[in-house]
Amino acid sequence: MTLKIKEELVKRSPLRVLERSLAGGLGKGRLGVLASRKGVGKTACLVHMAADKLIQGKPVIHVSYSSRVDYIITWYEDIFKEMDKKRGMKGALAIYDEIVRNRVIMNFKQDGARTEQVLRSLEAMIVHGNFPAETLIVDGLDFARTGTEDLERFKEFAARLGLEIWFSASLKGEEPLFDGSGVPVLLGELMSAIDVLITLRHQGQQVQFNLVKGPGRRVPKALGLRLDPTTLLIARTPATRRSR
Amino acid sequence: MSTATARMRNIGISAHIDSGKTTLTERILFYCKKIHRIHEVKGKDGVGATMDSMDLERERGITIASATTNVSWADHSINIIDTPGHVDFTIEVERSLRVLDSAVLVLCSVGGVQSQTITVDRQLRRYNVPFMAFVNKLDRIGANPLKVRDQITEKLGHNAVLMQMPIGLETGLKGLVDLVAMKALYFDGPDGEIVRTEEIPAELAAEASALREKLLDAASMFSDELTEAVLEGRPTEALIRAAVRRGTIARKLVPVFIGSAYKNKGIQPLLDAVVHYLPNPAEIHYQAVDLDAGGAERALTPDAEAKTCALAFKLEDGPYGQLTYIRVYQGSLRRGDELVNTRTEQKIRVGRLVRMHADAMSDIDEAPCGDIVALFGVECASGDTFCSPGLHLAMSALYVPEPVISLAITPVDKNAADRMAKALGRFTKEDPTFRTYVDPESSQTIVQGMGELHLEVYLERMKREYRAEVRAGRPEVAYREALGRRVDFDYTHKKQTGGAGQYARVIGYLEPLAKGDYEFASEVKGGRIPRDFIPSCDKGFKAAVRKGTLIGFPVIGVRVVLTDGNYHPVDSSDIAFQTAAQNAFRQFYPKSGPQILEPVMKVSVEGPSEFAGNVFGSISQRRGMIVSSVEDGTFSRVDAEVPLSEMFGYSTVLRSLTQGKAEFTMEFLRYGRVPAAVAELLMEQHLERQRRDGRK
Repeated sequence: MTLKIKEELVKRSPLRVLERSLAGGLGKGRLGVLASRKGVGKTACLVHMAADKLIQGKPVIHVSYSSRVDYIITWYEDIFKEMDKKRGMKGALAIYDEIVRNRVIMNFKQDGARTEQVLRSLEAMIVHGNFPAETLIVDGLDFARTGTEDLERFKEFAARLGLEIWFSASLKGEEPLFDGSGVPVLLGELMSAIDVLITLRHQGQQVQFNLVKGPGRRVPKALGLRLDPTTLLIARTPATRRSR
Repeated sequence: MSTATARMRNIGISAHIDSGKTTLTERILFYCKKIHRIHEVKGKDGVGATMDSMDLERERGITIASATTNVSWADHSINIIDTPGHVDFTIEVERSLRVLDSAVLVLCSVGGVQSQTITVDRQLRRYNVPFMAFVNKLDRIGANPLKVRDQITEKLGHNAVLMQMPIGLETGLKGLVDLVAMKALYFDGPDGEIVRTEEIPAELAAEASALREKLLDAASMFSDELTEAVLEGRPTEALIRAAVRRGTIARKLVPVFIGSAYKNKGIQPLLDAVVHYLPNPAEIHYQAVDLDAGGAERALTPDAEAKTCALAFKLEDGPYGQLTYIRVYQGSLRRGDELVNTRTEQKIRVGRLVRMHADAMSDIDEAPCGDIVALFGVECASGDTFCSPGLHLAMSALYVPEPVISLAITPVDKNAADRMAKALGRFTKEDPTFRTYVDPESSQTIVQGMGELHLEVYLERMKREYRAEVRAGRPEVAYREALGRRVDFDYTHKKQTGGAGQYARVIGYLEPLAKGDYEFASEVKGGRIPRDFIPSCDKGFKAAVRKGTLIGFPVIGVRVVLTDGNYHPVDSSDIAFQTAAQNAFRQFYPKSGPQILEPVMKVSVEGPSEFAGNVFGSISQRRGMIVSSVEDGTFSRVDAEVPLSEMFGYSTVLRSLTQGKAEFTMEFLRYGRVPAAVAELLMEQHLERQRRDGRK
């Protein structure tokens, strides 16, 4: 019964669209970044991506630099509640208790938490805590204070422990936030370490997903995904739904 | 409201272990002239703090039973309930919170908000208790009261406002700045008993006025008058106090005071603050259930002339007989008054009425509305409500959690057996989470409680106070069994060979029940089972679920639906249907794919981040699930869910893994399914036990 629910949830997830565009997904040893202005919905997207992994039975460590643990737990509950309301996704809530056993939340205070220290704790969790994470979600890392060497450390870590890592990057400050090729100015110098970059930008009433850097291509490309403004779930844009 | 009530405060002092709560209480007693010398908790002078009236507490440096004590400060009468810090004794904390009007939350200025602080905060929230914070241990290395204030805001979600700032910190702690009066306070004399007021040191003036700005901003939210005065540039002390008081009582503001109880700094201002900002009993709205009005909620009036309503919240069997701690919510309590226990409807006459001070007491003739006092020689249970004749109110019952751990104890000889029985009788009366029974199969005495330490403390007390020497078995977890899925049953009980026969047939189904332990429904139509025998079936099933067939523990979450059956006009009887039901359960329950459940605890481990790896490992080895880890600089906290059966001896393990620098707390979370391998082991052990008992 629950197996069937899970299969259905995985099959119907709009994240399959993302996977196709990334030729199967982010991949072990690689770093992906989700960048947008503050308040557009990065955390919701990351939680939705984590939820998708959890439903597939893949352990996730959710690293947060800002939110309180109980807020993060509430994010997950909300995402599952919203999924549960969707057509064909009924039952998401029923499996919630079971699948969150594959999730660990690790919270670090921004100031004082140096990359080496964070990675040391993560390694302790994976190795000593015997937690076989495959995906790392890193929310709220301050990219203005993050250098290429920090990202390289994350990358080495990801390769060594066989993980993929999704970051969120909050863009703030003066316009323009993006350069001519759609790369956030803030991330310009870090691009060598970033394998996949997705930006979230308002397009009229909608928040659209743009693949700015991905496997084999650097040209910005609309992903055919949007963020539902009420449920904060990732959804297919109507155009792609028609084309299926 | 009488002046006596207006000049009264009922406060609790709650804290994380080792935040210095008992030391603080000790200082309060000293400055209020209740004691003449200060004793430290881990008494080097061999006396120990006055509030810890039991020897054992003195030795362990923890406070177990809440002793109430009354002090006078600035013409106000303050009842203080000293509450225990360890989670195993949470029932004590909950009981005291129920009768308090407000609390002082003590935090360590180094540790800040810790796991137990969060538990206590949740309890304060549950009972809607207004409180202020006292950041203690400013003399310790690493003290940072500003950080602690931020933690109260961020981690507990309160609107915390500093009312004072330190002059110097750690070993250089000299005194405090009062941000309301804008004066510097120093504590002179050998015991800090002389408070010297001076101007604020010039180098602190800027920071002090910045913090005062924040205080005024926060307080203005609760008083238009103050807002106006601030705009005009002349806020008075009285206006600020009134505003802070309003915010505090509404639980919308948490004033934060600071000091070092150990170094005798900041205690007198804290006592002033209790008087200034915490509510008197009449300012809190209490409700009772009106038994005459079908259980409707009714507001109590804090009027001394109204009919009396009082709650017995703690019993103690002392050398002079049974002492009942009681809180008056409405009316007053006079010697000679006649009261009715609304649960038993028994009448009592108020005999000796005393005010308590830790170990000593003083006789009084009357307790005004809101007061907390003790009665002598009243037979009742903890949680009973007493009312004037004609009034039938019940204060809502206290929440009593089910015990999760049990231990078999055997007295070493006949003398010890008598003394053990006496001790158990007293302990169970005092503490509803401590229970005892005799196992009918092994004829052993079993004690049950909320954790290892909880039981350990009672065994020690048995030895010390009652000289009852007992041997204790291995602690055992309170397992449960549960139905796997719905299963139909059809069982006929027949015994019709000679003499009076027995005949009963029951048909229906068993199904898992999401909420609750047991439910029985009958859908039998057309008198297939005579109506008189339906309760017999219920009784039979109820008896059967008390012992599951897997490992002999109670089966929970069972719904029994009786749909059909059969009877014999002569041979059917109450007992025949009971037997049929019992046997039906025993025969069909195993066919439902039953499971063994075990108590899963919510465990929090706190300590230096360098040991996080060891902590993760120790939890993972114990079949635990790590929920989260929070790292704040060098300090980290791990929250996990771990089966209780794996937690025995964890404190020793943790100590050695972390060089004694980490500590943990745990409380019952839920019942969870036992993994197959463990379940098999448990079933084997059960069979083994049955075989052994069978041989005997």
